[in-house]
Amino acid sequence: MHIACRNLHYTYPGAGFPVFSNLDWSIEGPGFFALFGLSGTGKSTLAKLISGELSPGQGEIDIPNARRVLYTHNAERIPGWNTVGAHLRSVTPASKTSLLTTILKDYGMEAHLESRFSGLSMGQKNRINLARYLVQEFDLLIADEVLANVDEPTRNHILERLKTLFPQKTFIYISHNALEVARFSQAIYVLPHGSTAGTNKIHKITGIDRQDGMETPEELVQERVYAILRSAASTSEPRP
Amino acid sequence: MRTLKRLFQFISIYATALGLLWGVKIVYGFSDYLIPPPLEVLQVASQNGLLYVKAVLDTLAVAIAGHMVAIVLATAVGLVGRLGTWPGNLTRTAAYNLQAYPIVAVAPIIFLFLGDGLASRLLIAAMICYFPVLLSFIGIFAKSVEEVEHFFRITGRINWRLELSIRTFENLDKITTVIVGSGTMALVGTIIAEFLAATNGIGYIIRKALYQSNLAKILVALFLIGLCSSLYLSLIETIGGRIKIRLYGHKAEYMIFCLPFVWRLLEAQVHTAVF
Repeated sequence: MHIACRNLHYTYPGAGFPVFSNLDWSIEGPGFFALFGLSGTGKSTLAKLISGELSPGQGEIDIPNARRVLYTHNAERIPGWNTVGAHLRSVTPASKTSLLTTILKDYGMEAHLESRFSGLSMGQKNRINLARYLVQEFDLLIADEVLANVDEPTRNHILERLKTLFPQKTFIYISHNALEVARFSQAIYVLPHGSTAGTNKIHKITGIDRQDGMETPEELVQERVYAILRSAASTSEPRP
Repeated sequence: MRTLKRLFQFISIYATALGLLWGVKIVYGFSDYLIPPPLEVLQVASQNGLLYVKAVLDTLAVAIAGHMVAIVLATAVGLVGRLGTWPGNLTRTAAYNLQAYPIVAVAPIIFLFLGDGLASRLLIAAMICYFPVLLSFIGIFAKSVEEVEHFFRITGRINWRLELSIRTFENLDKITTVIVGSGTMALVGTIIAEFLAATNGIGYIIRKALYQSNLAKILVALFLIGLCSSLYLSLIETIGGRIKIRLYGHKAEYMIFCLPFVWRLLEAQVHTAVF
């Protein structure tokens, strides 16, 4: 899968400055990629532009072979009138039922299927939300801080299993956790610190791409984390 | 419990108001003709109580019927008003402009055309509580609940029934409050209609008492109106509370079975209204 943004411009209606200006960027999938940056640098905006939730002011986004691009974020809820299990059953295609069972078991959520979404912890809500997206038909899933409230060991397990279960899919994982993206991503795309002229460049840092059960040397992880953080803080004039 | 609380609140306010009235009477030395003493009020209550209770129940029945008509109509028109197309824009513009007009001023025209029977009282009651319900329903139905709807939209599952189910469910508290508030307005509308020209109801009795300058009769009528209004409003709140418990609680299947039916019914109404 190839995702390409060419000469991308985007300004929110009523905003005084653009988020992106003349941005060229591309990803070659499949694989697990990360989008990293400080708050307000435009990660979610870029995700919404790629998924078609926002339309670019100028320029184009080309994803030629993707039949379905999904975007999910961590504020999503399921309808309150259903139990978690009933909702998941109602949105899971018949061909994905066994996948759903596997994912729920993996995520430790089997015991919570009779609960209401409002009765779950924040971390459990994150897992249920991600599970329902994973059982949809998709070529590219953009996951915007979807595991933000999940504890670290569980999060690591989920990310490892994601790669094992979906080797042919493309993931763009948005996170503020430099350690996590350094460990698990094939490449980390870092949006530099904001500029009033709009971001026009995204830095690429090669990640460690840890697989299920693989050991990663801590020195290497640290080196990548520093590179990511330096890159994120790199530019330029701060936004007003 | 909710009913008792409302009744207690009303009786406290009523007793305070009566106390103030009699306090003013004593301080300024007003005559018994102007402000009747407690005993006279009690005598009026015992002599006319049954007649007044029948009248207030008559008024309440008309108010409830008018209220229901307004809710059904506001739901149907609200469904059209939420649309982004021209029927929706037209409905919203018309609703916002019409609600700015004091509907009660139109009441005499209704009496001219329909006479002083049930139809006039019902229509005025419905009209007075209709616009606040309509505007709230348009607001609720038109506003997206992004954090719930996003999944259904991006996976191509969203349809208007699901969208409305989500918005209704997420705004149940607001809907209950609006319906309770408009219930008071329905009662006000019915009494105004009875003041103006009707020959039944507690408003008609108050009008007659006004011509006789008999404040004791008016005070008894006001007490019964307050009592009935408190009971009706607490009944609506109780129904709203029960629905919420059903939907949020273990019997949520009710919603799943109930909503598609309701939407089918409304869809038919909207279809008739638009086409």
